[in-house]
Amino acid sequence: MELYQELTRDVRFIEGLKSCMNCGICTAICPAAEFYDYDPRIIAAIVQSKDEERIEELLKGDTIWYCGECMSCTTRCPRGNTPGLIIMALRSLSQELGYFTESEKGRQQLAIKRVIGENIVYRGYCVLPENLVPELHPEQGPVGLWIYENRDEVYERVGANYQGDGEGALRKIPQEAMDEIYRIFEVTGGFGRFDKIEHFSKIKAESMGFTEDGDDYSDYVKYINTNNNGKHTRQ
Amino acid sequence: MYREGKIQVWQDYQKEIADNHYFYVRSCIRQNFFPGSEQTFLKIVRTELGKDIVENPHHTTCSGIGYHADIVPFDTIQTIVARQFALMTEAGYHNLAISCITSFGIYNEIIETWKEFPSELEKVRNCLKRATGREFEVPLNVAHAGDIIYKFRENIAARKKFSLINQHTGKPLKIVEHIGCHYSKMFPSKGVGGAEFPYVLAGMIESWGGEVIDYPERRHCCGFGFRQYLVMSNRGYSVSNSRKKFESMEPYKPDAIVSNCPGCPMFMDRWQYVIEEMEGKTYGENGQGIPVLTYEELAGLVLGYNPWDMGMQMHQTNVEPLLDKMGIHYDPDLKYAGKDGKLIGKPMMTGCGC
Amino acid sequence: MKHIVIIGGGIAGIETASALTDTGHWVTVIEKEAQVGGKLNNWSCLFPTFTPAEKIIDELQDKCRNKDFSILNKTEVRTIHRQNGKFSIETSNDHKLEADAIVVATGYELFDARRKEEYGYKIYDHVITSADLEELFKTGNDITVAEGKHPKRIAFVHCVGSRDEKSGNHYCSKVCCITSVKQAIELKKRLPEAEIYCFYMDLRMYGKHFEELYREAQEKYDIQFIRGRLSEASEKINKSLLIKSEDTLSGRPLKMNVDLLILLAGMEAGKGTAAASETCGIGCEESGFLKTTDSFLKSNFSEQEGIFLAGSCTAPMSVNDTILHARSAAMEVNGWLRSH
Repeated sequence: MELYQELTRDVRFIEGLKSCMNCGICTAICPAAEFYDYDPRIIAAIVQSKDEERIEELLKGDTIWYCGECMSCTTRCPRGNTPGLIIMALRSLSQELGYFTESEKGRQQLAIKRVIGENIVYRGYCVLPENLVPELHPEQGPVGLWIYENRDEVYERVGANYQGDGEGALRKIPQEAMDEIYRIFEVTGGFGRFDKIEHFSKIKAESMGFTEDGDDYSDYVKYINTNNNGKHTRQ
Repeated sequence: MYREGKIQVWQDYQKEIADNHYFYVRSCIRQNFFPGSEQTFLKIVRTELGKDIVENPHHTTCSGIGYHADIVPFDTIQTIVARQFALMTEAGYHNLAISCITSFGIYNEIIETWKEFPSELEKVRNCLKRATGREFEVPLNVAHAGDIIYKFRENIAARKKFSLINQHTGKPLKIVEHIGCHYSKMFPSKGVGGAEFPYVLAGMIESWGGEVIDYPERRHCCGFGFRQYLVMSNRGYSVSNSRKKFESMEPYKPDAIVSNCPGCPMFMDRWQYVIEEMEGKTYGENGQGIPVLTYEELAGLVLGYNPWDMGMQMHQTNVEPLLDKMGIHYDPDLKYAGKDGKLIGKPMMTGCGC
Repeated sequence: MKHIVIIGGGIAGIETASALTDTGHWVTVIEKEAQVGGKLNNWSCLFPTFTPAEKIIDELQDKCRNKDFSILNKTEVRTIHRQNGKFSIETSNDHKLEADAIVVATGYELFDARRKEEYGYKIYDHVITSADLEELFKTGNDITVAEGKHPKRIAFVHCVGSRDEKSGNHYCSKVCCITSVKQAIELKKRLPEAEIYCFYMDLRMYGKHFEELYREAQEKYDIQFIRGRLSEASEKINKSLLIKSEDTLSGRPLKMNVDLLILLAGMEAGKGTAAASETCGIGCEESGFLKTTDSFLKSNFSEQEGIFLAGSCTAPMSVNDTILHARSAAMEVNGWLRSH
């Protein structure tokens, strides 16, 4: 497969890369470049070169997963490129081909799919109060813990309609609406993406010695959620 | 710094904001962390401004967090967004009022994509029809909810009970504004004041008596970064970017931070706590943090709303220093009470700065 | 005797007028300002030789005094009509002129640096343009920043309003790289203690002695050149500026604190040239500069027969290139008049 050709089938790639003159204006204000060993200018240069080998390296590596998709790069680019959109096209292709499991950061996609993905399809929200399990979210602090433990009362107090019928914040999305979202995922390839993430992750998990164990590789999910080899940031 | 120069920029980016009859779409993050802000928004628009705004319980997430964490394909999010448009069309509305900045960016990105690649629009129409039988019109006006508060900021000022003035010194409160990246960085003309000197929050702060703080890292991202926060082992990215902003704003001694984004105020609130826990460092006065507010909370305080009705007890960083400066009376005993004053326990530790 | 009307009394206009007068034609120059010389009047000295701009101005004025062509100052062209192979021209102060040929020499305008909002020109206290700096050199005023101190660290930003889709200008303004080198050296001479950085994308040292001056800037004046386009500037509480770029040669984001930021504002066709395009009925390039019928052999010919182009109304140009282009315009006009 010609990877570059595959990328050009994504409108975001067409929109994201016109031509790059390597000025570095994107890297200059990139929050990821300040933290990680990451340089959006180099990403643009690599895909622009159409060097299949280097594109494959990107698809299999950690680098493309460092971007935070804040899109600050697009405001400044003197050639009208959006490195953030190039990244989105690369990440889609990496998942399509199963290459994402080759890197520590890429493997994390399963953890995101398991929480955010399933929330979207089955609950109609990206995030939910019950996701904010204190052990996984220590940054939410004592107030976060208090909200988590008393969520029915707290949300009621501030006028939300947590899991209730009708309008309002955190309402239960009616089943008919959820059925429509489900069909949208079927029709538009949303489940295709989910299935690929699950499929390739399973293969990777097995090869790393994790087993399904009747709980859908939850040890693997825990591992990818917390594992950090400490080699990603700028030295 | 010359204000005249900024005024010039603001004048260059005047966006059209619909005057009435809004179809409201909610934000996932805000419903979780600032549900009171969305309630406050509806209350202000309906009762203070007398405008017509509706929501439909059948609307869902736009799936934006999933999209920007790359687990949701572009076709899927486009069709989910088209479904929201269909609900709006069916209700007979044309003006979208969006609670979330991520959604706002996505709606704009998708509408612009349809303009540039009409084949995408056709594809989405077909997908939506096949999946749901629905049809839709593209909204005539796309406003962020904050744009609407901005548009009517003087009406709010006219009804204000409190000003953004320090009651002890008589001086304007110094307020940092933080604009969500997806508000205008992608499409500067879609945001009030553009991308470099957005005026949407600055305008509110000034109209309500405060002073806007412009500090070097003002434009920098709060550090959400979608997957950079969602995945536990990536959160160093998130806190380090927020920290950069705190360090940069610290010399100006801000009295509060206000944001128009769902995630940013939550992160800037929680990361202050984390930094205090990790390093013992606080950025506000007297070992306190800097209170972080949504623009609705700020508007609500100005209008004299009870901070606990608005959900300000859900902040990790205490808001009381700001309430005290504004001269707002509040009952500390009721801060963590449930509905009708029911006692439901308190956070284990709230005495610290954050 | 044939009569030629030249629109614009800058370097190109006067030089064309002078050369055409020498070939025995009757020439009238229409100039909107009170004096000739155009933007050169605001400049202190010229690259790469540090020749005072006044010297060129003096020579232009000498030509005006000593040669037999006339100048209508404070005058603009209102309409041009073509009749029986002649042009009839009406001016803003109701002069009516008849001409056998017209030369458009309306020059350029400096890019309004306020349009690069992220650099904060006219917002932050110590962000100036290359033209402002030249003005400072010309007046000889002390160069100071916050609290009246001399700037300790200074940065030049190349390509402000050039090579930039966001400004609407895709082209290179040609003169900014070498202007930056020249101004950096002058600044270093005046402020020997200052550290000076130039943020560039490509250093286009195309002209005679340009490369040598760049080398001298590095070797003798310790000017630092950083390959990276400036992404933004913001003002700190002490009025110094935080600037962000990437050092693309080492592949690292770079933040620097500077006391003074100098923006090398590029060249744009400007209002005068746009008006000339309109009144003369001649086309513009996408860049806004006037279209020549051929870049190699007809670089002074507009799309309309009998209307010629001279100088930076056709493209960004140095003073030197403008003089050469003006002289070639005179030769082309003369040749055309003789064959008609």
